[in-house]
Amino acid sequence: MKVVAVTACPSGVAHTYMAAESLKVAADESETCSSCFVETQGQIGIEDELTAQQIQAADVVILTNDIGIKNETRFKGKPVLRVKAGDLIKKSPVILSKLASKLGA
Amino acid sequence: MNLSEVITPAIIDLAVDAEDKASVFAHLATLLEQDGRLNDREAYLQNVQEREALATTGIGFGIAIPHGKTDAVNTVSVAIAKLAKPIDWQAMDDAPVDTVFQLAVPSASQGDAHLKLLAALSRKLIHADFRAQIKAATTPEQVIELIGSTINQTLEV
Repeated sequence: MKVVAVTACPSGVAHTYMAAESLKVAADESETCSSCFVETQGQIGIEDELTAQQIQAADVVILTNDIGIKNETRFKGKPVLRVKAGDLIKKSPVILSKLASKLGA
Repeated sequence: MNLSEVITPAIIDLAVDAEDKASVFAHLATLLEQDGRLNDREAYLQNVQEREALATTGIGFGIAIPHGKTDAVNTVSVAIAKLAKPIDWQAMDDAPVDTVFQLAVPSASQGDAHLKLLAALSRKLIHADFRAQIKAATTPEQVIELIGSTINQTLEV
């Protein structure tokens, strides 16, 4: 399963990055996740911006829903899972394994 | 960037005796003010409390990262408290909190090195080995050195 994600939070200083890191750590440890790219949209601005190829190849898109995500139209046609940044911090491994079984990937 | 612009021993207290969140916020706000990092302690404190009311900053693992982003802050800062007895923070994992990283960010600051430091610190807190090292530190200097050695690697690139 190939995952791309974008994280953001209201103040853009902490949860954005914790959520991104949690997801990456969980993806590294997951047996079903072959790649995981995470873009952060924090107060610093956009970092690790997803490329068109990464989005194209992805089986699923994870977006945090605490605040709006910029440039959402690029994910049109892709399965999108919206979760709270806090849920990524708390239970990224569970979220990834549920996605994997749902997608059969 | 010099880490001491963001964290100094003066804004770290490793033996805080507090009954609740509000007294932790207030204590760290006092340390920040005494170190010249706030221009309006009350406004900062109110901002921290409003942010906390939106959603808990207890991220789990006994750690909380309350933060205030307001013009009452002069310069990006991280105040750190270790609590003598863990207190309830309505944390994401329901575990009581014993270590607090209280952030102070001027509302105007954008894209600067200080914010990158906060981002790097936030990422590090996800890693169990880093949390264990922080919790084992016994002096403010040790805490600063730990943060410095792990985070500078991230910032140099």
